[in-house]
Amino acid sequence: MDKLKKTADLLLDISSLLMVSGANTNRINLSLTRFASTLNCQAYSMVTHKTLVLTVTDNETEATFTRVKKIPKYRINFSTISSISRASWSALRDDWTIAQIEKELHIIKSHNRYPRTLVLIAVSLAGAGFCNIFKGDYLNMLVAFISTLIGLFILQTAHNHKINAYIATFLASFSASFLASLGVFYHLGEHPQAALATSVLFLVPRVPLINSFTDLLDNNILNGMVRFTNGAMTFLSIALGLFVTMLLFQLN
Amino acid sequence: MEEAIINVLELSIWSGIAAVGFGILFNIPRKTILVVFFLGFAAGLVKFLLIHFNVNIVLSSLVAASFVGILSSPLAHKVHHPPVVFSIPAVIPMIPGYYAYETVLSIMSFTFMEKGSPERVELIVSIFYNGFTTLFILIAITIGVSLPLLLSRKETVKKADDK
Repeated sequence: MDKLKKTADLLLDISSLLMVSGANTNRINLSLTRFASTLNCQAYSMVTHKTLVLTVTDNETEATFTRVKKIPKYRINFSTISSISRASWSALRDDWTIAQIEKELHIIKSHNRYPRTLVLIAVSLAGAGFCNIFKGDYLNMLVAFISTLIGLFILQTAHNHKINAYIATFLASFSASFLASLGVFYHLGEHPQAALATSVLFLVPRVPLINSFTDLLDNNILNGMVRFTNGAMTFLSIALGLFVTMLLFQLN
Repeated sequence: MEEAIINVLELSIWSGIAAVGFGILFNIPRKTILVVFFLGFAAGLVKFLLIHFNVNIVLSSLVAASFVGILSSPLAHKVHHPPVVFSIPAVIPMIPGYYAYETVLSIMSFTFMEKGSPERVELIVSIFYNGFTTLFILIAITIGVSLPLLLSRKETVKKADDK
């Protein structure tokens, strides 16, 4: 029983880590199956946005153990997804024990993210890139770069203070569009409207939207709808921030 | 013609940069950064070339995303990371943020700003056109990226079942 309890906890830990890192439902189930067959048992799971339910059955004794876990805060991390996928293959190939998998999971969790400054600059460059795609000239791209930089900075700060994600998105959208509206107000560059439109694009919930449709394709309809609703709510927060700016500047 | 080629190339390079920018936000493994840039660039090249030849944006997105999806399987074997890690960041610049932005803006104007009838009809047209374009581009991108993955995934599931 103790072994089963440990297995269930480990598998729950792995799946919740995958969930918050931005894996879709199918990938979570696939990883669970791989790790479970390594540990000589069967795993049956119910994956929802906030909670995981998992039952493990021992292949030999047929004893079962069920456990529920609350999913922590979402934070997309593709390195984690990649490492867990690689670990699942190695575990299957080399018949890892529970202790080995636990150790590997501990290593995966301790990996550092990219430094905050690098993330800020990279995403701002992406914002400038979007502005270029929407026919902005280099002055517009600079406006988009600065607005994205400040907007993302505010979003990160709000996340660090554990503010509600939708309010954080609203604040970021408002500040980014406010800065870009100054460009429209003073007629900077050829298409200041392009800079305004692209200044909030970094907030678009891209990974939830893609995962929503891959889940729907896999017939994980409930999770797909949840992710889509999540994305739509984020869109509304973005729109609200933009709307307040437009009221202030009497744009439109 | 030359000007058009340079324009498409510039757009594609910025697509690649945008893909890497979001990849870093999503904390992709260091080794995959170059792959993400290349795939983002390639996707942009395919998409903007097709748009240049007056192909509809939904169809161009589908072709570009399928291109990424097909390329990502052999690349995954080469760099030893699962394909999602670089195929999703590569299609990120194609996600229709601008259409979504227009949709929501039109909805807001319809509800709070415009009172006149002809303007409101125009806004309804804008809401429907931009909203459905957003939806169809999203579906096209997902199908394009995940169809090769879905096909290859079936094989792995089968192997696990046989054991």
